[in-house]
Amino acid sequence: MFMESFVDALYLAFSPEVILYVAIGVLMGVTLGAIPGLSGDMAIAILLPIVFFLEPAAALGLLTGIYKGGMFGGSISAISFGVPGTPGSAATAIDGYQAKLKGYPNKALNTALYSSVIGDTTSDFVLIFLALPLAIVALTFGPVEFFALYAFSLLLISALTKGKVAKGVAMAALGILLAMIGRDPIGGSLRLTFGIPALSGGLALIPVLVGIFAVSELIIQLGRAWMARAQKIADETRKRAESLLGDYDPAKDKLSFAEFRATWRATSIGTTMGTLIGALPGAGSSLAAFISYGLAQRFSRNRDEFGKGSLEGVAAAEAGNSATSGSTLIPLFAFGIPGSATAALFGAAFILMGMTPGPRLIYDHTEVIYALFLILIYANLINLVFSHFLLPLYSKIAMIQSRILLPIVCVLAILGTFAAGNSVIDVWVLLFAGLLGVVLRLYSFPLAPLILGFIVAPGAERALRQSLLIGRGEWTHLFSSPIAIGLYATAAIMIITFTFVLRERK
Amino acid sequence: MNHKTTILNGTAATAAAAMMAIAPTLVAASPLGSDPIRLVIPFGPGGGSDITARVLSATAPEFCGPRIDVVSMSGAAGLEAVNFVRNAEPNGHTLLVTDYGPIVTSGFVDDVDWSHDDWQPVMNFTEWLPTVYTRNDHEIQTIEDWVAAAEAEPGTITFGHASPLGLVHLPLILFEMETGLENVHVPTSGGGETRSLIMGGHIDLGMTLPPSIASEVASGELTALGVFSEERSPVLPDTPTFREAGYDVVLPAWLMIFATSDVPAETVEFLQDCFMEALASPTAVAMSDRVNAGIEPMTAAQSTELYRGTVESIGNILRDIGEID
Repeated sequence: MFMESFVDALYLAFSPEVILYVAIGVLMGVTLGAIPGLSGDMAIAILLPIVFFLEPAAALGLLTGIYKGGMFGGSISAISFGVPGTPGSAATAIDGYQAKLKGYPNKALNTALYSSVIGDTTSDFVLIFLALPLAIVALTFGPVEFFALYAFSLLLISALTKGKVAKGVAMAALGILLAMIGRDPIGGSLRLTFGIPALSGGLALIPVLVGIFAVSELIIQLGRAWMARAQKIADETRKRAESLLGDYDPAKDKLSFAEFRATWRATSIGTTMGTLIGALPGAGSSLAAFISYGLAQRFSRNRDEFGKGSLEGVAAAEAGNSATSGSTLIPLFAFGIPGSATAALFGAAFILMGMTPGPRLIYDHTEVIYALFLILIYANLINLVFSHFLLPLYSKIAMIQSRILLPIVCVLAILGTFAAGNSVIDVWVLLFAGLLGVVLRLYSFPLAPLILGFIVAPGAERALRQSLLIGRGEWTHLFSSPIAIGLYATAAIMIITFTFVLRERK
Repeated sequence: MNHKTTILNGTAATAAAAMMAIAPTLVAASPLGSDPIRLVIPFGPGGGSDITARVLSATAPEFCGPRIDVVSMSGAAGLEAVNFVRNAEPNGHTLLVTDYGPIVTSGFVDDVDWSHDDWQPVMNFTEWLPTVYTRNDHEIQTIEDWVAAAEAEPGTITFGHASPLGLVHLPLILFEMETGLENVHVPTSGGGETRSLIMGGHIDLGMTLPPSIASEVASGELTALGVFSEERSPVLPDTPTFREAGYDVVLPAWLMIFATSDVPAETVEFLQDCFMEALASPTAVAMSDRVNAGIEPMTAAQSTELYRGTVESIGNILRDIGEID
């Protein structure tokens, strides 16, 4: 029975049409993911109706290809322009862009590719072999446990930037404040909208992300002629970037095996955290990337390199981001619960093809699901091969003068932002976030904690208030779960240990 | 195994669908020009409303003439979509596809410059029946269990619903008003989160729409307690209505197409006719069955009656709980 289905699945998964759809999907995904504002999820949403007319294996191949390509594509613009192409690659931008400024975009891109594929493949195997046990663990995460996880991640990231802990915490707080604009998730009343109806839905993630990272960079570059302070900062950036224009030597910018091996620990941390966090319904790939980045920095031998172009930083963030891709489908397969936007879209695709997501899925549609498992694995190989040949081209694009490149990126960002929600307000949010980003950059506030705060706040607030509702207003309810206590204890131990370790080193 | 042939058929069908969208057949005596019709939905892509609207956009061009696009605008909690349709030219080319939340509830509680009379229904896709459910090993398994437990210890049963005052929250409020029971209301980010909280044992009960739990109820993993509707749900035939249990609480949700009230009557009638025709076509019926959309179209007149009724009952609930005066 098993062998029979497996052989059928092999035929399905490796038929030329399906391979072609996977390849088309990967190419589309990489391209869309590389454009700030556009993401693989959006392409999947747009292509959903077509799924109805396709044979299931081909449709799943196309969607899987887009999804995986998009996951990696986001890191291309994160590294090349310092603009995360997708929310998941926000953490990649921290070290990836610094690496590019130092003149080795190719190394950073290759590190991102390899760690991304390793994380993704591992996660797919976990989905195939460990879906049920992990899903049961994931269900034990209720509001109390989620709040502990969110608190843990906020502590970890805000306290990252060495010597700037206060600024990091302040930025996380600002991110949380921005996320609170709109409707109160529990009471339903409006808050912080200042009577502007357009703000009642809150600020969307993509315009905030792209504005803070991309638009602010452009404004700084433009503004350097007028503003003395901007002059100073932009000059530093330009000097580092321009000094490379003439003498950028692709031959020197090759990732050696030894260099990649040095990122192994970071890649493993990212893969583990990404797989675990991906399996939790509602946690998301950006959270996984940030936690992986934070932990990799804590456990790295070259902690000081983080934030200055560390390949380990790139590897941890990308492995963490991509390792959610297989495991995010676990709650969908085990219980029919869509754990993320992507899982919801895959769920919608299953429904469109007449298959109901849930534990029966694998028994009712054995061949198709086995075929999907095979596609999940070999799509990574296709992604690896395509991207491997395209990367030299991307690194050359990355080294085009930024005054030519940035306006193009910004136009793409504005178009992408508008296309994502068909909303003019989002474009205004994008521009205002850009202005905010300028101010924060001028005073050298770290941007990553702000983004993490913004991403984590809605979930954290909901989890906190749900916990208090369920615990009937007793704060002690927050400590009613061993998992939560474990997370708080780990956070406390880490902070204490690292404070002492850092002191001793100085 | 005939997968090879079906793949080719699939490709051909995709191509055909794409051609259909690119080259619309022109229908005589249409009050519509050749500009595309936009179905604006106030939600993100991929959800039930989106999928249902796409069944129409894939099948109706043949009957209505112009191409039909589904445009998703979830900004400002859906109000952006409503305002966009409101401010569009009243020629029947820009229509709103929504449940009662962004139009009936928002019309009451939000600061908007339109009233419920500024909208006219074109047709109704379907009625959704809010359903209370829990896990199969929970001590509450019926409406009677719930009432008994809530009477024994008021304010202890935790009840998960999506956003406050939404489609799967208002029926709970109505039920509590009717019975005087008290539960702990736990808002969630949506049906997926409600379900994982129930299955993980973090909350007791939850509310959702039948298609999303039908297969788990059939396999016995989840128990559906009751449905807030006049009749039982076709996908949950064994689940009683609250009315059967002796509680006259009925608050079905719907998914309607709206035009602004200044769109000429003959345009609305033309749209109603060609939409209904399209949804009766074999392709549309097949698509609807596959996606479990349960499309049972209603005419503009029937929909208007339903819309007015909903405006009245939601208004009463919101006044009773002090949300509006």
